[in-house]
Amino acid sequence: MSDHLPPLSSRPRSSHGPQLSHGPQLSRRSLLRAGGLGALGLGLTGCGFSQPATATPAQTDKPIEMKVDGPLVYFNWADYIDPSVFSGFQKEYGVKIVQSNFDSMPGMVAKLDAGNKYDVIFPSAKYAQRLAQAGRLRAIDHTKLRNAELVFGSYPYFEDPWYDPRSAHTVPFTMYKTGIGWRRDKLGALTGSWQDLWDAQSSGTTFLLDDEDEVLGMAALKLGLDPNTTAQGDLDRMTSLLQTLRPHLRGFSSDDYNNLLDGTATMTQAWSGDMVSVLNQAKDATLYGFEVAKEGSPINSDCFAIPANAEHPGTAMLFIDYLLRPENAIKTIQYLGYPMPVHGTESAYAALVKQLPQCMIEPGDLKPSLYFRNPSTAGAQARDTAWTDVKAG
Amino acid sequence: MALRTPVRTGDPTGGPAARRERRERRPRPSATGARIWTWLTLPGTVWMSVFFVASLLLVAAISFGTTDELGDPRFGTNLGNLRALADPAYRDVMVRSLGYALLTSVICLLVAYPVAYAVALHAGRFKNALIAAIVVPFFANYLVRMYGWSVLLSDDGPVLRVLRAVGLAGAHTKILNTGFGVIAGLVYGFVVFMIIPLYAAMERMDTSLIEAGRDLYGGPLRTFLFVTVPATRQGAGAGVVLVFLPAMGDFVSAQFMGGPNQIMIGNLIQDKFFEGQDWPLGSALTMALMAVLLIAMFGYLRRARKDEAEASR
Repeated sequence: MSDHLPPLSSRPRSSHGPQLSHGPQLSRRSLLRAGGLGALGLGLTGCGFSQPATATPAQTDKPIEMKVDGPLVYFNWADYIDPSVFSGFQKEYGVKIVQSNFDSMPGMVAKLDAGNKYDVIFPSAKYAQRLAQAGRLRAIDHTKLRNAELVFGSYPYFEDPWYDPRSAHTVPFTMYKTGIGWRRDKLGALTGSWQDLWDAQSSGTTFLLDDEDEVLGMAALKLGLDPNTTAQGDLDRMTSLLQTLRPHLRGFSSDDYNNLLDGTATMTQAWSGDMVSVLNQAKDATLYGFEVAKEGSPINSDCFAIPANAEHPGTAMLFIDYLLRPENAIKTIQYLGYPMPVHGTESAYAALVKQLPQCMIEPGDLKPSLYFRNPSTAGAQARDTAWTDVKAG
Repeated sequence: MALRTPVRTGDPTGGPAARRERRERRPRPSATGARIWTWLTLPGTVWMSVFFVASLLLVAAISFGTTDELGDPRFGTNLGNLRALADPAYRDVMVRSLGYALLTSVICLLVAYPVAYAVALHAGRFKNALIAAIVVPFFANYLVRMYGWSVLLSDDGPVLRVLRAVGLAGAHTKILNTGFGVIAGLVYGFVVFMIIPLYAAMERMDTSLIEAGRDLYGGPLRTFLFVTVPATRQGAGAGVVLVFLPAMGDFVSAQFMGGPNQIMIGNLIQDKFFEGQDWPLGSALTMALMAVLLIAMFGYLRRARKDEAEASR
């Protein structure tokens, strides 16, 4: 696996230029963030006025040796990893894990901006790209990881994903698709198209995810457009299509599995991994179905990353490697419900979703065209306006 | 009805005139004393300046800003965010939020008045225990309580199951994701802000006035309308403001209890700051909301000042 880990000279690094040449602006911006956070009620963490990481490329590119160099400061969504995996790591390496959680990707970035130091974070593909381009992530030399081959050898897509050329700063963590979850007992079989969301039978108990990308992406795919489109003509068509769906909707909610489980939803746009929670918690798992649409289902993944200002990157490398061990990956997969691109775990996930085989993610499903990407600032605003119009009606 | 506070009526010094006199006899603070009190306001002033006024100014400044590639705000002189507010979607949602907040205030007043009345005037030695019973549940996080309600009120949840069993709800009756659900959530969330000022006003009220009303042949209703209500009007006014302001900006109730047609302005603002990654537009929306709230607040203050002027005449 020597071919995908050259020095990073080929990586576009234009984003460093403006950041470094606007020194004073950075402190103003960090002040701004600190104040803004206070206004948001997120609270200040005591170091809100420190500068965000302004590490130079030489510092972020320095290879990290996999060795214990302090406790692991872990920053992730809550309940993402089986507690037994944590305790196993602590015991094996004799280090402590200091855990904290974020509740959204922007929340994670805000904490990093406030100067908090974490050793391992779990950004989505979209955010991994933003952080990597801003020089906020350490380079990860995959040859230093014992188990990297299990990922990159079997899932060639991740050798050079769009969000992080050559996966130079990231190691993929979990993957998911977005489809439709529904109650078989109430609606019978569906047709395997996004058109199913307009089903008159479930009208009034249909939910869409409360997620701009997912809702706009669904409409775009149904119309045969690029899910990341920012063209005004496309957005107008998507908005009017979604307006025809609105009368059938009961709500926009990202609590897809609870809505299905407590009977509030008979059909909902759903993330594949959340359907595993439905299977695990339902009294009768055969009542539920999950399908991906033939027009295309968005695919996504998140990843491990080490922030540029991490104090214990060596321990973070050990932790990533530990989680990639198939036995630990299987525990994580079973706990979380989302598959990991780690060779040797596929059959365990297949067993987990035997009831809903469409939750499976094959290496061939990972198509860059079905990922949600970072639009330009103007494009993001155009999409956000469309989303506001859809949501507010 | 029995006399409510026999002790006070029997007390020769209990009359309003006597009390006014007592107030005037209170020793005047000396010059040093006054200076100490001034210094004691310092921590609060600093705290408010840093965490409230400064933050507010930042929000105002960001509303003219732009967004960088990482999704972080940058200062600027961009008027686009204010122009974006012309989108009719915002106006409609703002009007809806106003309606919800007003309705919530009225319902809270109707619910809280009898509660505060009963606790303040008839609860005797259980008064403090009852107030604690009202306040303590509100120490639990609002979001968590709303989430709990959304589970209780779901279609297969316990509330509807019971209502269906006793024939009060049909097979298709819904509470969750309706306007009723959102307003019920807002009322539940903020009613305590109405109960407390009303309770304080009633507690302070001179109950001999009620007896005087009776003595002058006022029936219970007339006495209530012409004695009790005016005496507690300021408490009610404070309660309406305390409920209206947070209800207007709330997003939690609409998020958990609302559907696509119940979205409130708070939800849109939250979207801008989080998923939309457009802090400048979120700030502009916040400023617009604050402008609406300031107008409402201004109206209330003018009204309160007029009341006070009348009362002192």
